[in-house]
Amino acid sequence: MMTIAWFEFRTKLSRISTYVYLLVFTALAALWMAAAAGAFASANIIFSSDKVFVNSPYALGQTITVLGLLGVVVVAAFMGRAVQQDFEYQSFHFFFTSPITKREYLLGRYFGAVLILLFIFLGIAIGIVIGAHWPGVDKTRVGPWMAAGFVQPYLVMLLPNILFLGAIFFSLAALARRMLPVYIAGVVVLIGYIVALRLLRDIDNRTLAALVDPIGSTALGLVTRYWSPSEKNTQLIPLANEILWNRALWLSVGAAIFAFAYARFKLAFPNEGEGKKRKPSTDDAAAQTRLPRAVPLPQVTLDTSARAYLRQLPGLLRLYLRETVKNVYFGVIVLAGALFILANAKVAGSTFGTNTYMVTYQVIDFASGTFSIFMLIITAFYAGELVWRERDARMALIADSLPQPTWLSFLAKLFTLMGMQALLQLVVMVCGLLVQIFNGYTRFELGQYFFTLFVLQLPTYWMVAAFALMIHSVVNQKYLGHFLVILYYVSEVMAGALGYDLRLYRFANTPGLTYSDMNRYGHFLGPIFWFMAYWGAAAILMLVVARLFWVRGTDTGARVRLAVARSRWSRPIALTSAAAAVAFAAIGAYIYYNTNVLNPYRDEFARGELQANYEKAYKSFENAPQPKIIASRVNVDIYPYQHELRTSGTFTLRNKTGAPQSEVYIGLLEAATIRKLQGSIPMRAGDVRRDLGWLPYTLERPLAPGETMTLDFEIDYLPDGFTNDGARTLVVDNGTFVNSQLFPALGYQAGVEITNDNERKKHGLAPRPNRMPDLDDPVNRMRNYISGDADWIDFEATVSTAEDQIALAPGYIQKEWVENGRRHFHYKMDVPILNFYAFLSARYAVKKGEWEGAQGKVPIEVYYQPGHEYNVDGMILAVKDSLDYYTRAFSPYQHKQVRILEFPRYASFAQAFPNTIPFSESIGFIAKVDPKDPKDVDYPYYVTAHEIAHQWWAHQVIGANVQGATMMSETLSQYSALMVMKKKYGDAKMKRFLKYELDNYLVGRATERKREQALFRNENQPYIHYRKGSLVMYALQDFIGEENVNRALAAYVKKVAYQEPPYTTSRELLAELRAVTPPEYLYIIEDLFETITIYENRAVSATYKEAGPGRFEVTLKVFAKKMRSDESGAVKDVPMDDFVDIGVLGPDDKPLYLKKHRIKSGETELRIEVAEKPERAGIDPVVKLIDRRSDDNTVAVTKG
Amino acid sequence: MQLAIQNLSKRYANGVQALDNVSLTIAPGMFGLLGPNGAGKSTLMRTLATLQEADSGAAIFDGVDVLKEKDRVRRLLGYLPQEFGVYPKVTAAEMLDHFARLKGVTDSKQRKATVDALLERTNLAKVRNQRLGGFSGGMRQRFGIAQALIGNPRLIIVDEPTAGLDPEERVRFHNLLADIGRDVVVILSTHIVEDVADLCPNFAIISKGRVLLAGEPGPQVERLRGRIWRRVVAREELEAMQANMPVISTRLQTGATVVRAYSEAALPGFEGVDADLEDVYFSAVAGHVQS
Repeated sequence: MMTIAWFEFRTKLSRISTYVYLLVFTALAALWMAAAAGAFASANIIFSSDKVFVNSPYALGQTITVLGLLGVVVVAAFMGRAVQQDFEYQSFHFFFTSPITKREYLLGRYFGAVLILLFIFLGIAIGIVIGAHWPGVDKTRVGPWMAAGFVQPYLVMLLPNILFLGAIFFSLAALARRMLPVYIAGVVVLIGYIVALRLLRDIDNRTLAALVDPIGSTALGLVTRYWSPSEKNTQLIPLANEILWNRALWLSVGAAIFAFAYARFKLAFPNEGEGKKRKPSTDDAAAQTRLPRAVPLPQVTLDTSARAYLRQLPGLLRLYLRETVKNVYFGVIVLAGALFILANAKVAGSTFGTNTYMVTYQVIDFASGTFSIFMLIITAFYAGELVWRERDARMALIADSLPQPTWLSFLAKLFTLMGMQALLQLVVMVCGLLVQIFNGYTRFELGQYFFTLFVLQLPTYWMVAAFALMIHSVVNQKYLGHFLVILYYVSEVMAGALGYDLRLYRFANTPGLTYSDMNRYGHFLGPIFWFMAYWGAAAILMLVVARLFWVRGTDTGARVRLAVARSRWSRPIALTSAAAAVAFAAIGAYIYYNTNVLNPYRDEFARGELQANYEKAYKSFENAPQPKIIASRVNVDIYPYQHELRTSGTFTLRNKTGAPQSEVYIGLLEAATIRKLQGSIPMRAGDVRRDLGWLPYTLERPLAPGETMTLDFEIDYLPDGFTNDGARTLVVDNGTFVNSQLFPALGYQAGVEITNDNERKKHGLAPRPNRMPDLDDPVNRMRNYISGDADWIDFEATVSTAEDQIALAPGYIQKEWVENGRRHFHYKMDVPILNFYAFLSARYAVKKGEWEGAQGKVPIEVYYQPGHEYNVDGMILAVKDSLDYYTRAFSPYQHKQVRILEFPRYASFAQAFPNTIPFSESIGFIAKVDPKDPKDVDYPYYVTAHEIAHQWWAHQVIGANVQGATMMSETLSQYSALMVMKKKYGDAKMKRFLKYELDNYLVGRATERKREQALFRNENQPYIHYRKGSLVMYALQDFIGEENVNRALAAYVKKVAYQEPPYTTSRELLAELRAVTPPEYLYIIEDLFETITIYENRAVSATYKEAGPGRFEVTLKVFAKKMRSDESGAVKDVPMDDFVDIGVLGPDDKPLYLKKHRIKSGETELRIEVAEKPERAGIDPVVKLIDRRSDDNTVAVTKG
Repeated sequence: MQLAIQNLSKRYANGVQALDNVSLTIAPGMFGLLGPNGAGKSTLMRTLATLQEADSGAAIFDGVDVLKEKDRVRRLLGYLPQEFGVYPKVTAAEMLDHFARLKGVTDSKQRKATVDALLERTNLAKVRNQRLGGFSGGMRQRFGIAQALIGNPRLIIVDEPTAGLDPEERVRFHNLLADIGRDVVVILSTHIVEDVADLCPNFAIISKGRVLLAGEPGPQVERLRGRIWRRVVAREELEAMQANMPVISTRLQTGATVVRAYSEAALPGFEGVDADLEDVYFSAVAGHVQS
């Protein structure tokens, strides 16, 4: 057996292809490593955080596993060939008649292949080392080298993968004796990986996903999910938990399959041709030695004209297509693709584990996305199969000597490929329709299916087919051809990852299109079609090459083939090539003009350069005194169908300092066209840099303290041509959403600066100590964190739009009129607002509601896209419930209306402006909330409540521009929304929601790129102010009581609403909270707000005894641990003596007992009596405390 | 109407000179091309069948330049390659119909008539609807000649057709070939001397890319009259015999080793025997006779 294995290894070792694979993996790994370590300016590969070394055990584990995934195909190729080659080369005659046993033969070949694969995958390790020493890497990203860090992933991840996958491919090849099933299996494995990634989005199934993924990277990700950066740098990949189960499971599966194949394999002549039902040839022997009847052959007329052969094209097409499609293997792969689409459907488009309505664009998106890899594999494979059809059947000599023209076979095969791809798109469409039907959604929108799948996607697939055909025609070697086509796919993916995104240089690449129910295809089709025409011309040139080099006959030498190609050059071909070449050049020039000249293309590095230059040049002006805006009166003219925006307006500025001001630094977007910009005090422009957005002006006479002046402007946004990403999305046909960032701003804009320290280094900037000014910075206390150039302003706006649309801005409608075919709206605010506002325009439908409170009636309006009625009533209800609660708990609502406005899904958020709440199409309007499903989280309701809360927390109370500012706006809004939810759904249902928050917080911590902060100092970090904020506030109200928290908040609002500078900070809010906290709970404020405190609590065991009727005695053992974490995630234990919930739950998590006990660190035993049979018991069962592993907080109660 | 081959040469990329200034004139009727394996027969066949380019030289068939006017040649051509496979799931009748279409028989009635007649001719009529995958070797060869005969070709090239056929099948095949029309050029390449002896009024011997001899079997055999000698030898003496004597062939007959030699004068210990075409072949290959 070892002889066979060794022979196999040695022969493969002497083949060039082995070294090619080795080189490929080395190169891939090297590039990957180099990019991760920052060698390429535009590349962006992060191992979850910049603080994790690129050669840490964690990063190595990821790299080796992922690159091993790419190696699936290589494993398939080698394992399959290890046994199939004997059948292809017909050498099985020798092996099967020699005295080797089945065991020696099969195992020998298998292990030989394993050895050669290990050799090839060594390339990954070599590449990693090379990549880490690449010129230009950031040396701080590379940590100390640990040999174990390399060896472990090879042993734990890669080797089992090779063994298991190898067993499957080997078995398939041994039984089928063909390579095709092996390739299909390779694809199926690749897809299995993608499906596991999708399943991961639904939290409950995470363990399942970790087991389902045969490559093991999901399990790896799961086990290390909550590791902090420092843990990732030092800890080895453990062979434990999900990783262990996963490896054990798949190794067993592999062994079982191998055993099955082993049993069925026979060292015997393979049954070819007819298989079992081989009829004996009915050849009449005796009759034949007699002279045969000299049957005269009829005279025939031959029509070998081009027209005659052209008429044969459809028949030939039908023949090839039928052959391709009626094939068992084709059916299998299509079925696999379809099944994966259907399996994915459950998880597509869900947020918080809640599904959305299966709207057509969503279904098309994920169906075609899932299937695209099948499409590409099938295209690559069948291009080769078609080109080699006659040669594989050894019919080529006969076929090639027939008088049919070369172009007949060429065209027939090309059209077969194209037709096959069209057929597959049809399969995608059918799957999509099935998914919609299964989900009870019947607005099918067949037109959209047809257009997106067949007009937008299919042509690019056709181009890939042309490319594959050309490769197989020129490269006269089937497996090399396959390799090159796959190489093209891989390079396409890598190009994207490495940041080379100029579509002008990436074959068959067109700008993407986000379909929105509101704006549909919008005006984005133009640029897409230009790119399609450009690459289409290239594809035609490729087809010309394919045609010229089409193989006919047996000559394989390069010189001869070139001579033949030259002889095939004819007039029609010359004309076609010329036309295509001219088209390619001309369209290419036009595209270049648009994407690089009219709208200069900047890659990520170039964009960063601009930001860096801004900071380098103007940071010194950061605290220069500037006038503040006190009033804004603007006109906005939206031309939706021309995609233009024209504005004019007047800002009133006042010098709020004690000294005169002569310098005004205006900030304005580069895309703006300035028609007028002048002040009531004449001003002279200084060194204007439009590309950096810096327009410095000097006033001819200074602005005295307390004096006001006006700034008049006329600014237009007129998009010119298109960009590398397609048409601009500022103004769209239906659903325009713009905000006040279009207007001039004053002073240095700190938000422009690059926040990421590694990025800063790339551009020659020192790292920033903090992302926001320090909590006690006196200068920044004089500004609010929303805008540095204003406190509160008076606001009035006139918006105009097309006659068939409604335009909105914050304010109460004063007048609406139509003039010159355009509709005008005049809005005015009666109270001051923050200097941040928005304008929207669309063909809305409106639903009206009303809330009545102590202050009177408040009209509620939801402006939505017709067809998206699903959650509108729910939103109105949420508004009412929220206003009810907030007006009673905090302070009166300061506005006289509430408006919710839908905008297209190009962005996915909701935002609160004064009495105006734009709400994205994709996050609330198409949510499918099932009121009967206890696990569903009603997130439209929740988001609405959150945005309404912002009317208090941001539009009444606004924090200073220092750390912790978002605690007042975001955290308090989260709290408010939570209380509204708690009131509606009850305390118990909050558990699922809180679990999501906890989970996202923990993930956020693990991917922190700079430094985590305690909540009260957080630097606008979403995972802290939203997620941790929710947990913290919920825990707080649980401890000290909802009423008390609200009392504190009401008092806070009274003190700081609408304040002029100096603005409030989180210290003041904490003081209010402390004031209502009983002394025994005061420690909580420090734990929750001022430190990063994490628990590791778990239930150890729980048993119960029936002490009598309706009396169950539960004995519960729990373990508690409390830790404090510093900013980089290093933890140290802290002694614990805190109040923690102890709970006993009945069926459906119904709390039979839930009370706070004082728990010390370590193990504690408790005895609790409940009235019903208990099911689960534990510590902190509803997960109100931040706990790294919350599923072990409760444990099932057994009879004891 | 003849096929004139002039100074055809071809050298493969690995240095092998497959055809070396081959010149032949082939009249209508059966023409045998005889030679050992690797002589260049298949290369010549493939070049004439428009599947390969020649480095230099020309071939003209009835005014058509075979090398440069491939399309025209293919319309007159019928080719049966040395080795070919089949699409296993297609029936004989379907495949012939497909080839007939590709050959330009666009009229469906004519096509059906042709296919039927060819199946009759090659005695495959009974298995016309059987899948090609189940055909035996002999049936496959008959199918091969059937497709070559579609469309009344005037240049028929048959490359090693009887290698691997049992004696019965060989006879059948010979009968088939013999029936092909009078003014059709049929080139039969083979290394089996009997095929040429049985079928071909004209033949040539080719070895290592060169034409050694061309002519008619009868006269060529006649030329060897009195020059072929035979002797039975012991196995130990064989090597010395081959080194010292003009041995042209060695064979085993009922266990004894028999050598035949070419010599114009008598050889000691050898008896004179009648020459046959095989002796012509071996003599030519050994270099004793040429055109």
